[in-house]
Amino acid sequence: MKYLLNNVSSMTVLLEANGLPYSIPIHPNLVHLTLGLFIVAIAFDIVAALYPLEKPIFKFLAIPATSSGLYDVGWYNMIAAAVVTFFTVAAGFYEIILANPPDDIVSPWGLNATDTMVWHGIGGVLLLTLIVGMTVWRGFQRYVWREDRARQVQWSYLGAGLLIFVLMFAQGTLGAHLGGDFGVHVTADRLIYAGVNPNEEIGKALSDTPVTEVVKQPRIVGPREFGPGSGPDSISQE
Amino acid sequence: MFENLLPPLNNHNLPYPDTIHPIVVHFVIAMVLFAIVCDGIGYFTKNKSLHEVGWWNMVFATISIFIAIVFGQVEAGLATPYAAAAGDLNLHTIIGWSLSAILAAITGWRYIIRLKSPGVLPATYMGMNAVLTVIVLFQVYLGDKLVWVYGLHTEAVVEAARAGLLK
Repeated sequence: MKYLLNNVSSMTVLLEANGLPYSIPIHPNLVHLTLGLFIVAIAFDIVAALYPLEKPIFKFLAIPATSSGLYDVGWYNMIAAAVVTFFTVAAGFYEIILANPPDDIVSPWGLNATDTMVWHGIGGVLLLTLIVGMTVWRGFQRYVWREDRARQVQWSYLGAGLLIFVLMFAQGTLGAHLGGDFGVHVTADRLIYAGVNPNEEIGKALSDTPVTEVVKQPRIVGPREFGPGSGPDSISQE
Repeated sequence: MFENLLPPLNNHNLPYPDTIHPIVVHFVIAMVLFAIVCDGIGYFTKNKSLHEVGWWNMVFATISIFIAIVFGQVEAGLATPYAAAAGDLNLHTIIGWSLSAILAAITGWRYIIRLKSPGVLPATYMGMNAVLTVIVLFQVYLGDKLVWVYGLHTEAVVEAARAGLLK
């Protein structure tokens, strides 16, 4: 519970309860964009490279498709992934700095919260580098090396993309551990660690009363004795 | 009768390690929003490549949303939402199902536009894109609340719910 209350300042309960100056973490939302754009870019380049095999399928579906249109998705989505990922990593580091996770839990991979954050941070910088590198590589293939070829991408580029999928899976799992196991920036989890019932707290989201005050007030509904911190050192005792 | 076919539920109350729905929705959120960006730029620049990119991203998003709903229903069913979370989970479910119909309709409309007048998008379609942006962003906000505010399927919330402390 100490890790919650250290951070409690003068902001509203909900805003401070997740340890951030805003109510919803930004990094996980930008992650949607990074992963979606990168994976679809590689997927469409694969589909485009195998276009001769798929021609009858597109014909059967009555969907006009050209390999150049499919390669356009591979290229533009990859550029967008590279641009967005700078913001994804920046937001991630900001939210790592503000993280205050429990130090007595180990993730399913046997790492504590700090190690998980360090690996996730290293992985983020590594993936940003790889995504930017892939974008540059893709650009050279599209406009210089393979401009006049039917197949716009090298097989090695597609292979590299698939290897990066594996890294992304590991990186994503570390991120899932941070949110799902350690409860980093999860409002309800941090309330529970502090011995406060999120059911009662979140309903008071717009209140200006800090958590420390709320738990001293008469409860609105349900029992207050609650969660792992309901022992003698808990702040939740009435 | 199927209970014994699934692995036991873990400390996230899931029969598999981590939630899958938030992964699948990458391909709805990112693809819809990027399609709309490409359509927006392509609308003014008349860049045919960007129209193709917009179209294919919408196709990918439309396929993905149905997979997202399947996992969303499974994980909503196992979420054991407490009172404060139940309202937003219900709203997220209703909008999610509606969004699948909306996306399918828009992509179908786009299919016809692409056949009949490739490289030209009607202003009404662009207006529909604007409405779609608002719905998708609101749906993302609700999903974010379920994970990051209510902590559904996080270890602490599952533990508290199983102990009967969170109802």
